[in-house]
Amino acid sequence: MGVKAKKSNADAVYSKKAGKTSNPFDTAISQTSKRLNPFDVHVNKEKFKILGRICKHDRGLPGVSRAKALKKRAETIGKQYEVKHKTNKFRDHRIGKHLSGEQLTESVMNARYLAEKLSQVRASNKAQKFNLNDDELLTHRGQTLEEIEKYRDERSDDEELEDEGLDAEFTSAAHFGGGADAPQDRQTAIEEMISEQKRRKIEIAKDKDEVHDLTEKLDANYKDLLSLVAKATKDEQIAKPPPDDYDKLLKEMIFEPRGSVTDKLITPEELAKQEAARLEQLENERLRRMKADDEQPETNVQPHRSADDLDDGYFATGVEDDADDTLAYDLDGNLGTHLNSKKENPKGQSNDKSDEGSDDEADEEDDDEEEEEGSDSDSESEADNLSDLKASDSEPDSESEQTPQPKKTKSKLQKSKVSEAVETSIPYTIKMPKTYEDFAALLAKYTPAQQVTVVERIIKCNHPKLEGVNREDVVKLFGFLLHYIKDMFEDASELDIGSHFKLVSQLMPQLHDLVHLNIDRMSNTLLDLIKEKYAEYRKNHKIYPSLDTLIYFKIVSNLYSTSDFRHPLATPTYIFMQHMLSRARVRTRQDIAMGLFVVTIALEFGSRSKRLLPAIFNFLQGIVHMAIPKRQQERVEIAPPFEQEGPFSKLLAIPATSDTKALQPQKLQPADLVTQTIDVDFKVRALDSTLCLLKQIFKEQMGEHTGACYLAAPFLPLIEQLPMNLYPEHVQEHCAEATTTLKSVAEQKMKPLAPPDKKPKALRLLEPRFEMVYDDKRRPKMSKQKEERAKLLHKIKREKKGAIREIRRDTAFVQDLKLKQQIQSDNERREKVKRIYQEASVQQGELNELARAKKRKKF
Amino acid sequence: MKQNNLENKSANKQAPELAAKRANVPAALQQKANDFLNSNPVNTKALKQIVNLLENPDSNAVGIMYVLEVIFRNLLKRKLISTAENKTCKSNAKPQEPNATCQIQYNKAWSLLLANLGNASKEEAGTALKVCMQLIAAEAKHSRSKDWPVTRLRSILEALINAEATPTAALAEFAKFTRCLDVLQFTYQLLPGLAPKSYVDTPNLAFNYLAIINLLDLGKTVLNDKQFHIGPESTFDYDRTRQLLNKVWNGIIASCNGVDEKVHRQVLVVLLERILPHLKNPILLTDFLMDSLHQFDGPIALLALQGIFTLMQKQNITYPDVYQKLYNMFYPRMFYNKYKARLFYLADIFLTSTHLPENLVAAFAKRLARLALKSPTEDAIIMIRFICNLLLRHTGLQRLICATGAASAVEIADPYDETELDPVKSGALQSSLWELVLLQKHAVPEVANAAKFITKSLPMVEFDLSSLLETKECNIFDDEVKKEVKQFTMAYERPTNFALPQYDIVTKYWDIL
Repeated sequence: MGVKAKKSNADAVYSKKAGKTSNPFDTAISQTSKRLNPFDVHVNKEKFKILGRICKHDRGLPGVSRAKALKKRAETIGKQYEVKHKTNKFRDHRIGKHLSGEQLTESVMNARYLAEKLSQVRASNKAQKFNLNDDELLTHRGQTLEEIEKYRDERSDDEELEDEGLDAEFTSAAHFGGGADAPQDRQTAIEEMISEQKRRKIEIAKDKDEVHDLTEKLDANYKDLLSLVAKATKDEQIAKPPPDDYDKLLKEMIFEPRGSVTDKLITPEELAKQEAARLEQLENERLRRMKADDEQPETNVQPHRSADDLDDGYFATGVEDDADDTLAYDLDGNLGTHLNSKKENPKGQSNDKSDEGSDDEADEEDDDEEEEEGSDSDSESEADNLSDLKASDSEPDSESEQTPQPKKTKSKLQKSKVSEAVETSIPYTIKMPKTYEDFAALLAKYTPAQQVTVVERIIKCNHPKLEGVNREDVVKLFGFLLHYIKDMFEDASELDIGSHFKLVSQLMPQLHDLVHLNIDRMSNTLLDLIKEKYAEYRKNHKIYPSLDTLIYFKIVSNLYSTSDFRHPLATPTYIFMQHMLSRARVRTRQDIAMGLFVVTIALEFGSRSKRLLPAIFNFLQGIVHMAIPKRQQERVEIAPPFEQEGPFSKLLAIPATSDTKALQPQKLQPADLVTQTIDVDFKVRALDSTLCLLKQIFKEQMGEHTGACYLAAPFLPLIEQLPMNLYPEHVQEHCAEATTTLKSVAEQKMKPLAPPDKKPKALRLLEPRFEMVYDDKRRPKMSKQKEERAKLLHKIKREKKGAIREIRRDTAFVQDLKLKQQIQSDNERREKVKRIYQEASVQQGELNELARAKKRKKF
Repeated sequence: MKQNNLENKSANKQAPELAAKRANVPAALQQKANDFLNSNPVNTKALKQIVNLLENPDSNAVGIMYVLEVIFRNLLKRKLISTAENKTCKSNAKPQEPNATCQIQYNKAWSLLLANLGNASKEEAGTALKVCMQLIAAEAKHSRSKDWPVTRLRSILEALINAEATPTAALAEFAKFTRCLDVLQFTYQLLPGLAPKSYVDTPNLAFNYLAIINLLDLGKTVLNDKQFHIGPESTFDYDRTRQLLNKVWNGIIASCNGVDEKVHRQVLVVLLERILPHLKNPILLTDFLMDSLHQFDGPIALLALQGIFTLMQKQNITYPDVYQKLYNMFYPRMFYNKYKARLFYLADIFLTSTHLPENLVAAFAKRLARLALKSPTEDAIIMIRFICNLLLRHTGLQRLICATGAASAVEIADPYDETELDPVKSGALQSSLWELVLLQKHAVPEVANAAKFITKSLPMVEFDLSSLLETKECNIFDDEVKKEVKQFTMAYERPTNFALPQYDIVTKYWDIL
């Protein structure tokens, strides 16, 4: 009970406070309110004014505040004291019981209702706990709401309007004497009137009943009629005259997209500008990756990805392409038409043009278009192949069914118009093969040129944007393609290697597109392949790996940004190449050709970053070394894997008797990669390429590096020993060029190394340390936690003090009350005693009087 | 009490071995062996059958060997076979007819086992040696005189030495037994008598002989372990063994004039690893080592240099040209020999001294830098770290990477002469480490990062090279592949064919398109 009492007290105080603060104008002193009595104000004198100290107690109203406190106590403890020791009392447990009038807002009422309900729920038995239906009956004036609703008369809308009282005719007659036909007797007149009134009422009630019956009947019939009504309206619509031009225009204007145009049609110049900007940005990013500053050698800042990015690996492709689709309503009000027609229109136009105009122009434009399509391939393929997919779902590989859907591969039809005649046998939709065997079998059915188209179509039909499952499929397809390439090159022969290369060459764009569909997964596939190849090679690192490995290298070179300082694919490939070039024995034509192939790929890797792979130089030295004819036992220094002496040290040396003058300049042949025997042709070719490579390396890649002379110098003595007079003219020319380049690099002069000028160390600036709140108290420095704790402890201390004081005052107040009561009761008692004495004395007086009178009588 | 413990231990050890043996033995054979063992008057026919099985090349030799081991141990226990030593005095035992047959079969089995030592199959050769050693142990245990069956050991060693190809598996197995001090001692005792007649004519035998010596480790750990093959009562005398070792070495050194390079290398390896610490008078080796150092280059010279280094350390000999020798060991071909890690290790030790002349160390730094331009990736990293360590040790060398104001303005050709044999005269101190600038452009990021130290402040402590010495080229690949961060950045230009859109090189030189 004590607790409750306290709570109620607290409530009372709170309500007072709340009431006070609720109105901001409460504090404003009105003109009429009591002015502050200057004698009430007590001023605490301040000895010194201290800056920054906020003094709250400079003046106070002791009288006022004491009175306030007393009043409050009287209201709280006083009340309590009054009812002390009383057994029965009125308790108001309602929420906000101290509020009154306007303070009792809706929320308070709601809270009360809720509390009431909760208490009911608590009180009710367990069975009702889970009763979701609201069983409780709400009442209004003792009637349940249900009841009220039940007897509500719906038709009583206009009844109330009718006057229940007497009508004007009657009153005028009755009250004001009336006309000639006034009844003789007032009594009869009134009776008449009453009967009349009753009759009228009955009539009216009857009418109403009739009307009600009729309405009910109508209502019942309405449902039957409803279907008829609907039909009628539709028919009416059909019957509506066809919209004329005006209507059309109006509707068009109504349904025209109202939003502001975000992408206006881009002019070719703007497009070119955008492309240039994009390329520049990409180039800048590439350069940053290439440099990979000291502080963070492994920087890989993610390219910007929007919050809506679906992480489908599209961030690397053209960003602006995706924004082309504009959603709009069409004339019928259907949603979801893509306003991409602009893409198709120019195409059609250009096609027309190409038909009419000169051939060259047309070709150029077609090329442009193809490129554009390449970048747009995402959206386009999505738009185009949606129907493809459906078709493939329902009737796969049905060629006859292709004709009814001429629209779907429209763009492609236009694009590959020339080859159309050949490719007619390829179905437009090709299902993703389940296993590699299926895939290989599928490709085996077509010629190499068709195979490219097949792959292209598989990609388009299984684009991951079409279906989620395709995500896996394209990754699989990439694996299949790599496997196919491996199969092609693993057992390539002299005859078919050229065509294999051609096929891979044509597949490059497809591979590029494929990888962009899911960069991480597919790159990992390729990386796994290279790892596998490396593991194979590692078993015997003296033998060159199979040719397909080199093709993988080339794919890496073509698809990835190999100039990065550190790249998860390029770097392992670099290491692989270095290992291969420095360890694998060079003994056959194939070995030499493979080495040179790897050298060219490695150079491609470093073509932008200008990074060097030492093994390249050693290998090229080895090639030159092998071309030097050596006598028996003669040794020319060369590092492994080349041999200093013996037959393998002069593989490429041409005999003095051979006639090579007639040889034409020739690039290295793909066939070299699969042939073992070395002929004179190859010897000349290899040396020629080596010399050209040397020239290019030192001119374009290594030339400007400090210390390039160390790389160039070892070549010079080797080249000098070449019997140049035996070689055809173009080789001699190249040799001369290479020598001059090498010489110029070898004579490079360098500045001695000096550390970069150190920046002067800036003086340490001492900034003034501002404290947020200055309070003149110098406390020991504490950690934040400790400080917090100390603050809290201080607060507790103060609060405690305040509480003790309050309690003391409360006791004093109670004592005061007790005293007052005591005094009052004492006074009452004294009064009573007095009165008793008084009455007693009066009585005594009377008695005495009586006694005296008796005596007198006696006497 | 102690003895008991020991036995228990050995029993515990043998338990898994037995299980392995059982697994190897086919059930039929097991049955046969059991039958044989259970028959009290020995069934000589069965024994003959089993022994003959071993001759058959198709049979499961490993299983048969295990079975034979069990059988003969049993027979030895039953004293049905007299041990090899007291063969002559066996007559005083009660005459037993099967005894003689068993004896014959036993000897036959021995010869078959020895023939198997050189077997191509690793498992068989290993098992054969294991069984031989077990039989030796059994013989010693059950012989009356408790003598060590030295002749058996001799026959094993003979078989090992006379093997055509190096019996690697048997040697590996034998290495386990050489940790037992008694085996060690007796082997040394036998070895002088077994030395091949000529190292030049029969390099194979010599090689095997050296390989056996290479197994005989007299190091502290072995001596402290105090393992014995046969019973703990055997004794081991270090001084005597050392004497024997010296005798063996004298035999080797006397006959190793003009030997094959491979054998010479092995001699040096044996010398360095096993013999040198226990030689009585190692100073006598100086001539041999000097000759090896001067007559050969490559690995032999390197090993000799290591020997000389030990002599310099322990015997206080002086060898003035040692640094020049070491300097000239650094040349491009060295990356392709087996002992390059040893070379780096040695060079690191030789160049530890901070009292070396600066121009000498500068020449080393320059040469290492040059080589790093040609070396495989892992060596490049080692050498760059090594150079960094040299610069830290010799603060004066830091002029190689930070020239003073006036000098740094003039462009010069590198004054360092690569071909000069004397490091002091190579003029390295006037040069600068431009190679490292070039190495910063290395394609492998590890190397490029390692070379960046010249532009940053030098590290406070030297790099620990020993952890790097063991890395192989494949490790670098593996590390690279394992890197967590995988951001496959793509080329932004779409290739339309085999060629790159820009900077194409492959198709420029190849007739592919």
